[in-house]
Amino acid sequence: MSASLDKGVRVLKEMIDAPIASYFSSCVHCGICAEACLFYTETGDPKYTPIHKLEPMRRIYQQEYTLLGRLAKMVGLSKSVTDEELAEWQELVYNSCTLCGRCSAVCPVGNDIVYMVRKMREGMSAAGHAPEGIKGAVTRTINIGSPMGVKLPAVKAQMKHIEADTGIAIPLDQEGVEYMVTLSSMEIINFPEYLGAIAKVMRHVGRTWTLSSEAFEATNAGMQIGNSDLARVIVSRVVAGAEKLKVKTVISPECGHAYTALRWEGANLIGRPFTFKVQHIVETLEEFRAAGLLKLEGMETDRLSFHDPCQLARRGGVIQPQRNLMKMVAKDFVEMPDAGYMNWCCGGGGGASSIEEGEELRLEAFKRKKRQLDAVKPDRLVTACANCRIVLEEGLEHYKMNLPVVGLTETIAEHIPDPE
Amino acid sequence: MTITNDQEFKAALATLDNCQRRQATAYLIRQALDLTPDSRVRAGLDLAVRCDANEAELAVAAGGVNSARVASYTQCGHDANWTCQASHFVARAAQECIKPEISASDAWEAAMQARMARICQHIATGEGTSNREAEAQYRALEEYLKSLETQS
Repeated sequence: MSASLDKGVRVLKEMIDAPIASYFSSCVHCGICAEACLFYTETGDPKYTPIHKLEPMRRIYQQEYTLLGRLAKMVGLSKSVTDEELAEWQELVYNSCTLCGRCSAVCPVGNDIVYMVRKMREGMSAAGHAPEGIKGAVTRTINIGSPMGVKLPAVKAQMKHIEADTGIAIPLDQEGVEYMVTLSSMEIINFPEYLGAIAKVMRHVGRTWTLSSEAFEATNAGMQIGNSDLARVIVSRVVAGAEKLKVKTVISPECGHAYTALRWEGANLIGRPFTFKVQHIVETLEEFRAAGLLKLEGMETDRLSFHDPCQLARRGGVIQPQRNLMKMVAKDFVEMPDAGYMNWCCGGGGGASSIEEGEELRLEAFKRKKRQLDAVKPDRLVTACANCRIVLEEGLEHYKMNLPVVGLTETIAEHIPDPE
Repeated sequence: MTITNDQEFKAALATLDNCQRRQATAYLIRQALDLTPDSRVRAGLDLAVRCDANEAELAVAAGGVNSARVASYTQCGHDANWTCQASHFVARAAQECIKPEISASDAWEAAMQARMARICQHIATGEGTSNREAEAQYRALEEYLKSLETQS
């Protein structure tokens, strides 16, 4: 057994906690999870059945933690997990799983298959079987602090640009303000207008906010690759930044896994409660709306629909706020079939979009989104995740669908009246 | 006319008629054409400066520019290549002006995207930020306005 395989198997053994053991022992092999996975429904290939993606881990569970399994292993009746097998499973655990959580939502015995896949990724990562794309993102996160190599001078350049565009100063390292806004690398690189939209919203509602030079980045590559230690380091940076600036609330950007890492797993990762509140930007906007602070003008007259990011809607439970916000600006808002809790993933979440060799499969899986869109034929699609936005645009481009995709925060900001 | 700041720049764009505004915007974006190797963007801008371009021609060109824009996104988790990203923002700028009706805010948006492209180049080269692209745009618009006066 090679050193990396040995380490991987050891980590997989360690990952098998009480929930994982109970999930494996209660799986009734019904296959319902297959019908919930867009990689299975769009290819028809049974290898993409979510629970099957965990087969090496299930065998380790059986061989190590069940009586019959241990006996079988002792007398040589069960096969050990091999390096070749883990290499083969890399595609199943990373390329064809976006951690979207639809499988967990439909499992009749309540198995959280996403939780299991993430634990499986820990072992795969330790065994050296994570995709190069995700490994690169992790290395950059460790060395630079950003999975895409974004450094503070780039953020400052964007701030300057936004200030020139909007005429609004972008605060940096302001102590004692109400909100600390975090960004994803994707927003810094591809969508600087997101920062401009935040500036407009905050000025409009009269709230104080800041960026942090030490904690501007919220994307959590550790969550995606399956490395809790790294996930902890990334969350700790944000926590340190927020506590240093003594803010009341940290706003997670339009990035699915940044939100999951900070909002739902962050306190457990660092082993103590936060001294501040964490909200997704959509929740913040909803709070402003509910308090009557968002006084928007004008309505979009074209047909708009909303793509629910999986981590926000299904895993995070934020479903109604984005609809309340959309209704403030859209005269003709239309829901896709399965929208909301059971929305279909864009196909690129959970690190999948950074895996170049997974592109063909992603585009195949995009047929599901295409059908959802074809059913309601919107003129524009709104979403609240920078990664979803790009994956959607690539899918639409591939299938020659002329459908602009825009961010929710920018859409709201466009309806803010200019100050007198 | 001398343009010295963004207020004057915006005001000048607002005085133009639709075709003039499209032409002027295309000239502004051409200031940043060195930042993209994509022939679809160049072809789009070549069409945008023609007042006789019809809706169908503009739609085809816009499709090509949109493809260039989508193809040049930096994917989530990929190492940021700011030089390539500059190309993306040039395509975004071009997309704002290759349409039959172009408002003053569309023209401003295009100008800002082109400036963003230059910022990306500066990030890539570690030059820091400057206002050079804005200045170049002011001069390009002045030239264009002067050419209109000469024609009339």
